[in-house]
Amino acid sequence: MEMNKKILAGAAVMLLGSTAFAVPNPEREAWYGETHQHTSWSFDAYIFGNTKATPEDAYNYARGKAVKHALGFEMQIEQPLDWMAVTDHAEYVGVIQQANTAGTPLSKTGLGKKLIVRDPADIQRVLRLLVGSLLSNKPIPELVSPALASSAWDKNNAIANAANEPGKFTAFNAYEWTSTPNNANLHRNVFFRDSDHLPKRPFSSFDSQAPEDLWAWMDKQREQGIELLAISHNANLSDGLMFPSEVDFKGRPIDKAWADLRMRNERLTEIKQIKGASETHPLLSPNDEFANFEILSYLLGGAQGRFATIPGSFIREALGNGLAMQETRGYNPYKTGIVGGSDSHNGASPYRQTNFFGGHANHDGGLRERMAGHVLGGFDVRALNPAGLTVIWAEENTRASLFDGMQRKETFATSGPRLKVRFFGGYDFDSDAFARKDWVKSAYARGVPMGGDLSAGTTGKSPSFLVWAVKDPSSGNLDRVQVIKGWSHSGQSFEKIYDVVWSGERKPDYITGRVPAIGSTVDIKEAAYTNTIGSVELKTVWTDPDFDAALDAFYYVRVLEIPTPRWTTIQAREVGILPPANVAATVQERAWTSPIWYTPTAEARKTARTGGVSIADLRKSGVTSFTDAELAELVVGKDVWLKNAVTGAIFGIAWETGGQRTFRNINPRDPQPQHFGFAAEDSYLGVSTAYTISNGRIMEDFGDAPLSWTAYKSGDKTLLARSDEFGFANYEVIPVPVELVDLASVKR
Amino acid sequence: MREPLLHFLLVGAVLFGFSAWNNRASHPDIKQIILTQGDLEQMIIAMRAQGLPEPGPGQMRHLIDARVREEVLSREAIAMGLDQDDTIIKRRLVQKMDFLAEDLSALRDPTHEELLAWMNEHPQDFAMPPRVSFRHLYFSPDEHGAKTRDTAVEVRLKIKAHVDDSTGVQALGDPFMYQDNYSDRTPDQIGAIFGRPFVVKVFELRPGTWSDPIQSGLGWHLVFIDSMTPARVPEFEEVAEEVKSAWQAARRDEFKAEAYDVMRAKYGVILPSFESTNKPAMPASEQLQDD
Repeated sequence: MEMNKKILAGAAVMLLGSTAFAVPNPEREAWYGETHQHTSWSFDAYIFGNTKATPEDAYNYARGKAVKHALGFEMQIEQPLDWMAVTDHAEYVGVIQQANTAGTPLSKTGLGKKLIVRDPADIQRVLRLLVGSLLSNKPIPELVSPALASSAWDKNNAIANAANEPGKFTAFNAYEWTSTPNNANLHRNVFFRDSDHLPKRPFSSFDSQAPEDLWAWMDKQREQGIELLAISHNANLSDGLMFPSEVDFKGRPIDKAWADLRMRNERLTEIKQIKGASETHPLLSPNDEFANFEILSYLLGGAQGRFATIPGSFIREALGNGLAMQETRGYNPYKTGIVGGSDSHNGASPYRQTNFFGGHANHDGGLRERMAGHVLGGFDVRALNPAGLTVIWAEENTRASLFDGMQRKETFATSGPRLKVRFFGGYDFDSDAFARKDWVKSAYARGVPMGGDLSAGTTGKSPSFLVWAVKDPSSGNLDRVQVIKGWSHSGQSFEKIYDVVWSGERKPDYITGRVPAIGSTVDIKEAAYTNTIGSVELKTVWTDPDFDAALDAFYYVRVLEIPTPRWTTIQAREVGILPPANVAATVQERAWTSPIWYTPTAEARKTARTGGVSIADLRKSGVTSFTDAELAELVVGKDVWLKNAVTGAIFGIAWETGGQRTFRNINPRDPQPQHFGFAAEDSYLGVSTAYTISNGRIMEDFGDAPLSWTAYKSGDKTLLARSDEFGFANYEVIPVPVELVDLASVKR
Repeated sequence: MREPLLHFLLVGAVLFGFSAWNNRASHPDIKQIILTQGDLEQMIIAMRAQGLPEPGPGQMRHLIDARVREEVLSREAIAMGLDQDDTIIKRRLVQKMDFLAEDLSALRDPTHEELLAWMNEHPQDFAMPPRVSFRHLYFSPDEHGAKTRDTAVEVRLKIKAHVDDSTGVQALGDPFMYQDNYSDRTPDQIGAIFGRPFVVKVFELRPGTWSDPIQSGLGWHLVFIDSMTPARVPEFEEVAEEVKSAWQAARRDEFKAEAYDVMRAKYGVILPSFESTNKPAMPASEQLQDD
């Protein structure tokens, strides 16, 4: 026994000596990888013209070998990946799988024996057999039986297993569930934890287009010991269906069971890929000057006469709606972590602006097609951009360790470069936490990493956060690090962006508190930049100055690089034209972490400041909503002044008799809840929108989605409610104010 | 219609898994669609896989109707020639041929001798990268701005005496965000941390002395190489698995190419005339159309 221990210890030392960095690191390392790669085995890739790249090629590319593009040129990654999943579409391989009863493997049939190849001469013999059969129109029954044709899923797994080298390179067993109802992208990639526990066939969108059915199938797999997870992607192309807040795909009201089902199976969502970013949209985040980043809105396949809906299609809004659901309904289906990906159909993906070769074989593979703005299924390929990356903090580079990291949501995404970011939240960090050599170890001990939940503080103390970011040695320096906070009160969700640490001597704006733009070293004509501005490393301990222990909140980090040329600017120089005007000439590459959430205790909730009134409570006390006639009497042809019960902000709405309404006097400094868009600017510029009154509602439209107001009489008060505020009447009708600022209450 | 039966067999049968051709109806006007016990079981399994309860008689009827509709319409479509010149169907068929060739090529295991020979013919495919162990002093542009390199030069002069020892020297640099020592690392691993150009410079250094300042993507460094292991071709036993999969990959490509050549030999190709600029080279089996 003692002897054995010694031998084991000796073996462990030898192992340490030879592979010092393959030892699990309890402080975890950042593993850079790809969640989303198609090969010619995907039906659409084949149609795009990628007829050759196999999953093996894709893994070879990820590990640094050059592979051939469908157009014949070589593609090589700038820096090999630590892990990847080939996620070919389940459809078509799935349907063939489905037809397959547990058949006899080919090798055991009589024909199989005939087909066994022992030496080169056999190859000729077999070919004669096969080709002869095809030409004489006499099928070989064993060959057209699905036993052979069905094996794409098995083959894909066999290739992943062969490419998987624990400690060196992880290849996941995975596939894509490709549900595209009415051209809306509801796609999910499904990942499996280990190759010993895989389903016989993948669940495809032919089985069902409803995400709920996919999750139910996943639950079933888990019951049978198969560990798996789903990652949604391209929320930006989902036509508002990726993150619903009222009804699910089948039209059933969203409830706690639905939220639990989703969170059990789908804890991650992709924030950026070749077909655009899904973080947020300028209309949803009007105060975020960095929101306009790789926006791509269209419906898959270029649906005619329709356009993609904005609400329900972006992650930050979903995180906010999730908080509001937690607050008002007691569950949150959108505690989602953040990943990135490519969705390339070439078996290989470009991750850098300097190496962009498209993602759709013949359609965007040629320099001239790309720069001519080739229209592919409804969008201009110049709007495409390099792939995002997923980075997992995990102990070691193995399927199990990385999978568990994904389940913890201890992930961040980058827009392509190898940025590195750590993010911890807690109540017990020292202000000089970074002075310790072992600050990471201490951070794990005293707080939670990205993707985690802050415990509810006992003393109402504000949480603080350790934020650490390092640049990619092969890309631009860092401009700034931001914490993006969301919180919810009375069904209103708010967001605020804090610049927490930045490069140089810039002073935050006196009024807005925002750090001014870093400027640019980009020479657009030469498509070049220098790292003479910006930082290598940025780190700080940040404490939330606006913390309210009674309110649900999320915090995530966004790291921004200095401006660098976009691929279109680089390739415009190559073909000798001006950079296209429909996309930005420069980009600020970035990283986004999974959020850290704060959920108040029931006790803490009771201490919340007064907000709006719940409509359910109004109904309980016998209050009914206004009829169409009452609504018309209240608003049409009038200026109605409102006070937001949560923020105290007052503003007006002019409802014209002709069916247009315009905001009045919206103070740009008042925080606005979700879906007010550019309200302050609209009120200043006099930009109106249409409304109609029907079915007891004032109907309008926001971002191509319906939004409505209802009204209630409560005592002597008239209250308005917006349909997206989770059952709260938050706007009290007030008399026309004489003064907008109460100077008497201002402290001097 | 060219080879309608072939299209039927491949599209109708392979894609949808029916076996009707084995069971032709005796009546010439009525074609038969035969669903086997296995087909029905598959439908039930598919329902279960979706987490749905076992289908009742009504639902079973519905499933069968859907299946029959699929078969009738696809067969009729093929009879009408709608499959002809359909790129999707053609490419799918091509892909199935590729899969078939892959399966067939995998039916034989290589001998030990074949693998040894393969490795001897392709030694570079299995070469192991060089490795380096080093320490470094870091000089941060965040600290020194435009003077970063100058600072590194000054420190280099100071540590001249410490050529073979780093004791006490580490404090002369700035704190580095990662490690001060790296042992036994490959170029890719170093490149991931410091950037590519740094790798090239580090692998040019000699062990046992502090280097002049070297720039990385993160700043400037003085580097002390402890040891360097050159690239080498491993023994067969170290990489037997990789050799086997490389051999199989080569076999597969070879088999696919040969299979294609045999089939290709049965076709002549006629092309339209080309403008002189893009006229391709013409193999013997191709000819230009007379126009």
